[in-house]
This record gives sequence, structure tokens and C-alpha cells, in this order.
Amino acid sequence: MKLSTSLLSLTTAGSLLTLSATAANWTAGFQSGKPALKSISQLAFGPDGILFVADTKAAAIVALETGDTRQAPDGGTVKIEGLAQKLAALLGTRPEDILIDDLAVNPLSHQAYLAVSRGRGPTAVPVLIRVTAGSQLELVNLDTIKFSRAELPDAPIDGVVGDPKRQSNPRMESITDIAFLEDRVLVAGLSNEEFSSTLRAIPFPFKTVANGTSVEIYHGAHGRFETRAPIRTFVPFNVGNQPQLLAAYTCTPLVQFPLSDLKPGAKIKGKTVAELGNRNRPIDMLVYQKDGQEFLLLANSSRGVMKVNTDKIETVDGIAQPVPDGKTQGLKYETVSGWTGVDQLERLDAKTALVVRHTENGSINLESLPLP
Amino acid sequence: MTWRPTPGEPARPTAEVTNLPLAAVRGLAQTNWTLAQWQQLFPVYAEQGSVLADVELPPMVGDYRVIAGTLRFTPRFPAEPGVRYRAVFRAARLPGVTDAPEAFLSATFQVPANSTERTTVVEQIHPATAVLPENLLKFYIQFSAPMSRGHIYDYIQLRDKTGAAVELPFLEINEELWNPAMTRLTLFLDPGRIKRGVRPLEETGPSLVVGGTYTLVIDPAWQDATGTPLRTGFERTFRVVPPDRTPPDPAAWKLTAPPVGTRQPLRVTFDEPLDHAILQRVLRIIDPAEAPVAGTGELSEEDRTWSFTPTQPWRAGEHHLHVPTAIEDLAGNNIGKPFDVDLSVPPAGTDPSTNARVILPFLVQ
Repeated sequence: MKLSTSLLSLTTAGSLLTLSATAANWTAGFQSGKPALKSISQLAFGPDGILFVADTKAAAIVALETGDTRQAPDGGTVKIEGLAQKLAALLGTRPEDILIDDLAVNPLSHQAYLAVSRGRGPTAVPVLIRVTAGSQLELVNLDTIKFSRAELPDAPIDGVVGDPKRQSNPRMESITDIAFLEDRVLVAGLSNEEFSSTLRAIPFPFKTVANGTSVEIYHGAHGRFETRAPIRTFVPFNVGNQPQLLAAYTCTPLVQFPLSDLKPGAKIKGKTVAELGNRNRPIDMLVYQKDGQEFLLLANSSRGVMKVNTDKIETVDGIAQPVPDGKTQGLKYETVSGWTGVDQLERLDAKTALVVRHTENGSINLESLPLP
Repeated sequence: MTWRPTPGEPARPTAEVTNLPLAAVRGLAQTNWTLAQWQQLFPVYAEQGSVLADVELPPMVGDYRVIAGTLRFTPRFPAEPGVRYRAVFRAARLPGVTDAPEAFLSATFQVPANSTERTTVVEQIHPATAVLPENLLKFYIQFSAPMSRGHIYDYIQLRDKTGAAVELPFLEINEELWNPAMTRLTLFLDPGRIKRGVRPLEETGPSLVVGGTYTLVIDPAWQDATGTPLRTGFERTFRVVPPDRTPPDPAAWKLTAPPVGTRQPLRVTFDEPLDHAILQRVLRIIDPAEAPVAGTGELSEEDRTWSFTPTQPWRAGEHHLHVPTAIEDLAGNNIGKPFDVDLSVPPAGTDPSTNARVILPFLVQ
């Protein structure tokens, strides 16, 4: 998820008026009914309580009108221990058959939403859970809801026709992250066949025909080598008035590029602002402000949560030369102590993060933590 | 109070309380209860086997209805084999009833647990060659039945010839790269340890080192979609040769044209083994009338040869094999473009971004 950060950035950049002016039109073209989701892989909030759901199995993005539009003050806290057990009880199954695939927070109400899989096999049922005030879990009814749907552009190539042995196309693109920024949904994914690095931008409200642009993301190492670079996770943020993306590649660099680079057919390299190095497997990112400075938090499966001061992101030199052993270049980072086992990371409000974390005794907890 | 099958939905049994007093039926008809309020009267729990822990658990979601003096709860989701469901009726919570007993009624329901017989196996791992390049990009693990998602990397290990595990050799992503049927997993080698000039490669070196012998080991504890472990583990040993930075070259492929009027296969022999999954999906044959030819493609000789058998006999004339330049060899090199382009070397051949495919003619006569 990522919108809360971009909304805040836009607000601070003085663009709130633009958002309000078009707010009435966001649900234009929505239909009422059952969105028939095959999976819920990633979540991201847009304006007016609209929740974007990435459905990897259906290769689609679905916008849901949650109706959760009541503005709530900052300062709420969340604590749920034994999340898998409680979700299993609610959904009538075993804790080991619960997977938590993503977490998003509505920037208006500060209510959290969880993408949950009831089951672990191909017939698993995707469900959307809302965490209400008082840390209660509630199933969001997706039988009747207002929604709008966009198929992912650039369907995979399919060759030989009429092959009776091929029952279905085995290719699938796992959506690794989505975000809403200004008037489009950005979608990063990784194919289970070719090594692609497509980042897509789908205009919202969704249109029926023209469904967005795709760009190829490349990583240029030291001005010499250039490879496709799939994005694992990314976060929109503003530098001045210019919307930017900060992306963590699967091959570990942290890269920045302006949103205006996302033009049809573009080949984007971006500026490498940090080399996080080996054993670095980024999971989630968020940006926030504290004491007048801008920070990035990066949850990482093997290094804990890293905090990066991004104030100087515009002036830091892109990393163009090899970084010697044990040294880091570009933006400096520190590991946030005590934030262990973080699997999902979101911003609950201006001063608080919300995490799904696993403890040493195997419990999965949802809890709010003051932003460091 | 009983559990009974829901008509038309045997997997979603209904819990019901019959013969409600008339006052209670009237009282319930006048309420507009939320789910939480119904759950005060008639909660249904999925037990987790520990009385202490179960006390803390919320009741299940489902639909509550009162029809002809009977209160029914139908769970939102099907009953899971092996899980015990407990319905509790608290008559004292009935609206409009003043003399209901404080005691509660309770009834349980359980679908027999699934068989624990281990049947699923790893059928094959591609590439299947005994020799692989140092910059190998991925493996495909093919299972005989659908598998389960979650923590899969715990069950996959790459060992060197001493038996020691290679540290973090793979790209581990929470989304996991399955096919829709969940019978095939794509396992990328960590691209940070393949791409030249990237820090993990420079710090730690490649996952596979030239000259080494490695074994990819699949742990039999990995569970299939029914939650049952694999029947056996799987091991694939291979030797590592220098990195392959040469793109596949269709000009060097050998096409053996079939005779007209027969359904003998077209044989295409590649200049090197190619990506198993992509090849099976993207190759296409166009007949002299510009129509695609229907048929079945098959890979053999460790993904060096593709044989295509048409559904109908071959027609006479020039056919074309369409090969998207996006196909990959084992190191992720595309036609006309290596996996990592060395910008200090002038580009050679086709640029896949400008040419979507290569067309190879063959004459059927």
C-alpha cells in the first residue's frame, strides 16, 4: 500500500485543492455487485475510502468503494496478538491455513485492512478484513459493493494454438506492489517465466479501453552494465512539487525517479540513491516527516527495519562507481532497534506506524508503533 | 439444537435451534440485530484444540435467520475437514422471553480429517541438464499435484559438494512465483548475485561458482495443497561451467521440415538449451495462408529440441516459425540482447525492444 504517504505529501505540497475538486468524480463508472476476486495480493488506498486491490490470479486491479470515509483524528493505537488464530476462528478454519498477504491503512479513518488468504492452495479464498476501533476483526462483505476493474495491460504472449495438452496458460505475473498517486494506479510485478521489469501506470478512474502505459525498469551499474530490474516494493513521495518514486529493486539498489518519466515505452534507469547490499530483501517502505525532516522506513526480511533520512535525496550523487567492501555510498541508513520480525509495514497516522510482525514464539501480531 | 446439511451445499452445514417459543420468534422478528448481537445469542466457534486459547477466539462469520420457529446459522465458508465446530445457544439472551434458563445448549460438528497419505512428488526440475552456467537465472520445480503457499523457501536448499548450504542463493519474494494451478514454482537465482557490478555479487560472489558441483535439494516436509507432506524429497546435482553471456542465435537453429500431407513433426534444434517454460508458450507456426497452425509442441533433448505435431496434415508451401525475441536461454539472455548488457561493447544483432520477433521460414513439400 502506499497511498497514505503520497496523500500526505500532496497535501503538504499544497495540492489538496486539486484532490477535493475531483473527489466527486472518483467513483464515476463504478458498478454495484460482486467483484469476483480470484486473489487479493496487494492493497493500496486511494482518495475517498477507495481501496485498490491487486488480483494477481486475474491479472487485474479492482477499485472498491469501502464507504469508510469518516475522518478520524490521529492518535489511535492497535494491538492484536495471535492474529492468525483470530482470523482462523473468524473464518472457520485452522491458523496454519491463514496467510496475511498485505496490510493497508485508510488515510481518512486510519482503519487498517488486511488481505487474507483462507487456505494455502490453488482453491484458497481471498478475503478482506477490516480492523475496527477496539482492534476487532471484521469481514468486509464483497458480495455487494461498488467497484471498478482494470485488466492489466500487456497480456502475455501466447504461441501454439489448439494444444490439447495445455489446459491453461501457466504464466502468471505476481504483483509485488501497487500505489495510487495523483490520478493513476502504479503496479509493479514479477513474471513467473521471463525476467521482466515492467512498471505499469493505469489511469484512474479506470477506462474501458485505454488501460495504461508500461515502462521497462533498468538498473545501470557503474555506468557500464545494464539489466532489467524488477521492482520489489516502491513508495511515492514528493520532492518539492514533483512526484517521485523510490523503488527497491530485486537486485538490491534503492533507486529514485520522477513520475513524469513514466511515458509509454520508456526505459527508465533512475538514480541509485543507496546500495543496500547483500542479504537485503526489502519487504515494504513508507515515508514520513519528523522534526521537519523526511525519512524513509524500509522493512527488510533479514536486516530488520532500516531508517533512511531522505532530506538530501535531491542533492545526493547517484552511485555510479563500485562501492568498496563494507562501505556504503549515497543515503545513510540506520537499523531501528526493537522493530524485529516485521512482515508488513504501513503508516497508521502522521506519528505512528502499523506493522504485522512475527515473534520468536511463532505468534503473528498486528501492532502500532511510534515512528522512530 | 442440531447440525444438519444445508440443501445444495453439503460442505456448509447449518446449525439450528428448533421449537423456539412464540414470544422469542416475535421478539427476534422485531430486532434488527448486527452480526455481533446475533453472536451473543448463538455463537458458533471453530475450535483450535486448546480450551484456554479457544476462550479468547471470536466466533465465526455467517448468516443468521429465523424461519418457521427455527433459528439457523449458516457459516460463511465451508467446513474444513478435521476442524471441530461448536454452536452455543444462550436462551437467556432471547428477546421477549423472561423465563429462559441461564444454562446454554451446545452441539459440535466435524468433517472427517483428510487422508494423510503422502502422494505428491517433485516430477521434474528444469533445466534438467547436468551442466549449468554460472549465471543460471532460474529453475522451474514441477510437482505432481497442487502445492501450498507460504514459507516455501524453508524447503529449498542449494548445497555445494561438501554438503554445506549456499547462503541465500535465491530471490525470495513473499508473493512466490507459482503457476495458477500451483503445480509449478519458479525459483530465480538472486539477480543481485548474477548481475555484474551490483554489490551483492561483488561482496559475496555468485550463488554458483564455475567448476563447482551443486545439489538442489527439495525437503519432503513441504506440504501440498491438502496439507500433506511430499511422498519423497528430490535432489538434482549439476556441475557449473563459465557464465553464458551470448544471446541465443536463431540463425544457427536447424529446422527439419516435415513432408507435405503428413502429420510428422517439424523439428527445431536450437544452438543451446532454452528456457523450458517460455519455449512451450511462445513459439508459433504460420501456414502459407498466413493462418496459425494448430497442434502440439514438445521439448526434448534437455530443452535443445522442439517438435511440433500439427492437428491437421501439413499443407504445401512456405511456413514460418515465429520466435519472440523475448525468449530466454538458461542465463536469461534474449535474442539479440544479453541479460546484462555491457555498454562498453558495441551492440551486435537485433535489439529486442525494436524487433518483437524473428521469423524463420521452412518449406513443406
